[in-house]
Amino acid sequence: MKMTKIYEGSHQWVMFGRDPHRPEKIIDTNQYMVRTADRCLLMDPGGIELFAPMLAAVLHHAPVEEITDLFASHQDPDIISSLGLWDQALPNAKLHAAQLWEGFLRHFGCEAIEYLPIPDHGGTINLGSVELQIVPAHYLHSSANFHIYDPQAKILMSGDVGAALEAPGAPVFVDNFEAHIEKMRYFHQRWMPSNQAKRAWLERVRKLDVQILAPQHGRMFKGDDVRRFLDWFEALQVGIAV
Amino acid sequence: MQIKQTKSQFVAVASIAAELSAVMEVAKEISLAAANAKAIAFRAGEKAKGFQPITDFINELAKDTIGLVNNINDYAFLLYRLTVNEQRLAEACGRFEQVERLARGARYAESLAGPLQQARQKAQAGRREFTIHVAELLVKLAEVMHPARAARVIAANSRIEASQAGEYLQSLQAVAESVDNAAQIINDKVHRCRSALTVINLAD
Repeated sequence: MKMTKIYEGSHQWVMFGRDPHRPEKIIDTNQYMVRTADRCLLMDPGGIELFAPMLAAVLHHAPVEEITDLFASHQDPDIISSLGLWDQALPNAKLHAAQLWEGFLRHFGCEAIEYLPIPDHGGTINLGSVELQIVPAHYLHSSANFHIYDPQAKILMSGDVGAALEAPGAPVFVDNFEAHIEKMRYFHQRWMPSNQAKRAWLERVRKLDVQILAPQHGRMFKGDDVRRFLDWFEALQVGIAV
Repeated sequence: MQIKQTKSQFVAVASIAAELSAVMEVAKEISLAAANAKAIAFRAGEKAKGFQPITDFINELAKDTIGLVNNINDYAFLLYRLTVNEQRLAEACGRFEQVERLARGARYAESLAGPLQQARQKAQAGRREFTIHVAELLVKLAEVMHPARAARVIAANSRIEASQAGEYLQSLQAVAESVDNAAQIINDKVHRCRSALTVINLAD
């Protein structure tokens, strides 16, 4: 599992991904971690198949007992089907996930971990030295969907927004936006159902100061590429299957 | 605990639930046969005088069976829950061992030792609990065999009483046959449940 530190300040952001042992037919995913002095938040910690390499990678940065929080942007298996395993590994942790999905996510196994339901309007995750904002991103693509914004690091973990289908071992940052467009066009047109939802999200996100946009698949965007992506996404018609 | 073993355990527990559901249906059929027999015996009057108390007894047996099966169903559901728990713990132990191998050399690799040990202990405790409940279920299943055996004796008596019932002979004999068949089916199905449980115990 490749580990890339994307922010170093009063706390750290680490991106995990490009697992070379990932089974071939399983979509590649990016996992993110916010590490403070004594706590750790894992965002979209991944599917069952990814649990072992993911936890092994996290153990380079934090002991098990300091992994205190999990966040699931939505209910898909590549996001959080590992929940039942985290439930055995982290009996004192909390899961921040949509109120709407609680009854569904518990099918993965969530008995020891405390489920903290996120209301539709979002909220915050307080890790002590840093407070993260939970930004609503409903219908992008899931009906109850959230992203995480860190106002100190200026990073937006954007779930499936900004995702791209890449060849194995692709770089972690977009280095040529124009060349990257074709890798993400179909993903957004087909997985994102609503232009109205897209516009509402864009309006919300344009008010934030985002230096890094960190999606759950493909490459991250930084600097001017964040704005380029927002402009491109705004012009894109989504929900093409109907 | 092998994951393969919990898979066969799932199949065994599911097959017990299916057999019990069938036993319940058959017990309801017996109850219906008893009501039917009571009506015939009433019409037959003096000719089927000996048959009337038998119908009440058949009905009681059906009720006993239904009660016992309801109770056993609760056990079967508990075994299913324990199997799910065991499967999750088996999966967790396997994955944690994988993490141990992958995290060799990681700064905080040792911190996984606690959760791994706890998962193993919970898996062992779950197995012990499962074994205890299997033993209890075997006893409960043996209890269901009693009314089924009694029903077969009653069916034999019913045939004798039916032979005195003149023109109602055929109707009452059919009732006796139906009770006998139902009791045999219950006997077979309960036997299959016990066999499934024995397979789980052997796999332990």
